[in-house]
Amino acid sequence: MKIKKKTNTLRYYAHIYRMILAQDLKSKMNYRADFIISNVGIIATNVSGFIAFWIMFQNFPSILNWTYYEMMFLYGFSLIALTPVQLFFDNNWNLRFQVYSGDFIRYCFRPINLFFYYISEVFDIKGIGQFAFGAGTLIYAWKNLGLSVTPLIILKLIIALFSASLFMIAIMNIAAATCFWITNSGIVMVFMFNFKDYARYPITIFNSIFRFIFTFIIPIAFIAYYPSLIFLRPDNVPLLTYLSPFIGIIFFYISYKVWITGAMQYSGTGS
Amino acid sequence: MNMEPIIQIKNVSKEFKVLNRREGLMGSIKDLFSRNYKIINAISNITMDIMPGEIVGYLGPNGAGKSTTIKMMTGVLKPTSGEILVNGRVPYENRTKNAQNIGVVFGQRTQLWWALPVIESFKILKEIYRIDDKVYNDNLELYNNLVGVKELYSKPVRQMSLGQRTLCDILAAFLHNPSVVFLDEPTIGLDVTMKSKIRELITELNRVKNTTVILTTHDMGDVDALCKRIIIIDKGTRIYDNSIENLKDYFGAYRTLKLMFSKNPEDNTEENLNKIAAEIQTSLHKEFPSAENIAVCSNEEWIDIFINEDEIKMMEIMNFIQNTRNIVDVKITEISTESVIKKIYEGGVK
Ligand SMILES: Nc1ncnc2c1ncn2[C@@H]1O[C@H](COP(=O)(O)OP(=O)(O)OP(=O)(O)O)[C@@H](O)[C@H]1O
Ligand SMILES: [Mg+2]
Repeated sequence: MKIKKKTNTLRYYAHIYRMILAQDLKSKMNYRADFIISNVGIIATNVSGFIAFWIMFQNFPSILNWTYYEMMFLYGFSLIALTPVQLFFDNNWNLRFQVYSGDFIRYCFRPINLFFYYISEVFDIKGIGQFAFGAGTLIYAWKNLGLSVTPLIILKLIIALFSASLFMIAIMNIAAATCFWITNSGIVMVFMFNFKDYARYPITIFNSIFRFIFTFIIPIAFIAYYPSLIFLRPDNVPLLTYLSPFIGIIFFYISYKVWITGAMQYSGTGS
Repeated sequence: MNMEPIIQIKNVSKEFKVLNRREGLMGSIKDLFSRNYKIINAISNITMDIMPGEIVGYLGPNGAGKSTTIKMMTGVLKPTSGEILVNGRVPYENRTKNAQNIGVVFGQRTQLWWALPVIESFKILKEIYRIDDKVYNDNLELYNNLVGVKELYSKPVRQMSLGQRTLCDILAAFLHNPSVVFLDEPTIGLDVTMKSKIRELITELNRVKNTTVILTTHDMGDVDALCKRIIIIDKGTRIYDNSIENLKDYFGAYRTLKLMFSKNPEDNTEENLNKIAAEIQTSLHKEFPSAENIAVCSNEEWIDIFINEDEIKMMEIMNFIQNTRNIVDVKITEISTESVIKKIYEGGVK
């Protein structure tokens, strides 16, 4: 009975999300130039990142036992894992403005989960360009590393990408939610967002303090490094890798709770 | 008839704790831990019952606490003390359940999807509120009969004028047949035609669906057109709660005597009229010291004299003025809601 109710709720939310998304895409198609330009923009950003990476490897064929293609693997993997936060959770970037101006109250009158309702409003198409670029990089690395392609390994890849994506989403949820308590939360968001660039490196290249921080405090090592070990170092997979889906879910849940707690005690502005 | 009130507010107070914020990032971090608050009493000990189907005008000067009260009734704000029941539920504790049975319009803050055509917003709302096909279609048909907005439906909200958008926001608020609709300054910034259109719409929706409507406004035209009952608050306390008729009875002895002394526009400059008004006011106060409530002001080409006939008869004043000035035209008007409310805001009623 209870499970039935849960699945019904899930279906209800999925249905509403699909509707909003479909409408949103339809209206965005009217602005094709906007779609193209924003995607060209994000691809250009990634290409320049890629070139810097590539130049570095022209000088050092490997970094601490990490070959060029392995690094490419991490790079592509991280880009894909960072796609959901870009595609589906971009409205977090507007949160502080809406909270500050009082516009956030518009979202508070619906008989539906507030976090879901707020986040569902924006779908950022730029993420598609990033996904394409990441997928291309990953496939390129995959081929050159001679990794096999079996249904099991694809399943593992999907689970790994899914759980990896939860970490950046959770980090950004918490960073955005700080605006419910402090006014300068823009700094926090930008600060946290920039950490994602470190996600593409194996954490072994950092010193032990940063290794600790990137694993337990701002867990960006879970965005690419830990999950990739399943594919790149299959004989030597640490426990944290196996735990990462669970940690990801818990971390996401905590971030959701922080966000919703802030939103529920939001008292609006005087006008 | 013995009906239960649909909204019960009992001894409700709301205070805001406002942080005295400090500068910079370090300041923000300190703010996180500091307890340096200032307390604002937005609402103090308010009690009222609203019956199903009523349209209540909730009035008060700027900063009186109207929006704060509405936010508490919608469940967004939690009262500091006291009890609120809406449809028998505590709004703050059942925010989503409460939301299913209410509609809210905050003037100028649209709740429709900015980029989408209105009809698409309506379709999404239909799913969110789980509105029956029949109810939904009936409502769209009703809307079409009332305001004929079909051609607006395909326009993205972003491209609408403020008035069109407000109209659509009101329609959206009634779409799921809520038992109560809260309208916070729905006519703010609208032209006269749109105002009257919206007033008619609200009247009709209330009549057809028996929806309870709580309306805040600074436009007494809205009050005259819509409300039988008004509740007035000032600085967070209730100062009036009764029918609008009763209020006018209270001022029943008040009249406005309008006099014109010249039809020549050159004599009727604002400066000149203000001078005349001031002179008349002084001489009337000297002549009739017991008539404390006399007030004189210029109003376009007229001089308005506000008189309480319990204190002094209108004819006496006319005769007195006629002795010194040549009156070319006279009008006598009942007191308007506008001036009654103004009088109350200014502390005319205890
Ligand atoms: N979120 C808030 N934080 C601090 N103070 C607030 C907040 N919201 C309202 N207030 C204060 O509470 C008081 C009542 O505000 P409210 O918005 O309810 O007034 P109002 O009657 O709606 O006024 P108006 O007619 O100008 O809209 C004001 O003094 C306002 O400054
Ligand atoms: Mg207000």
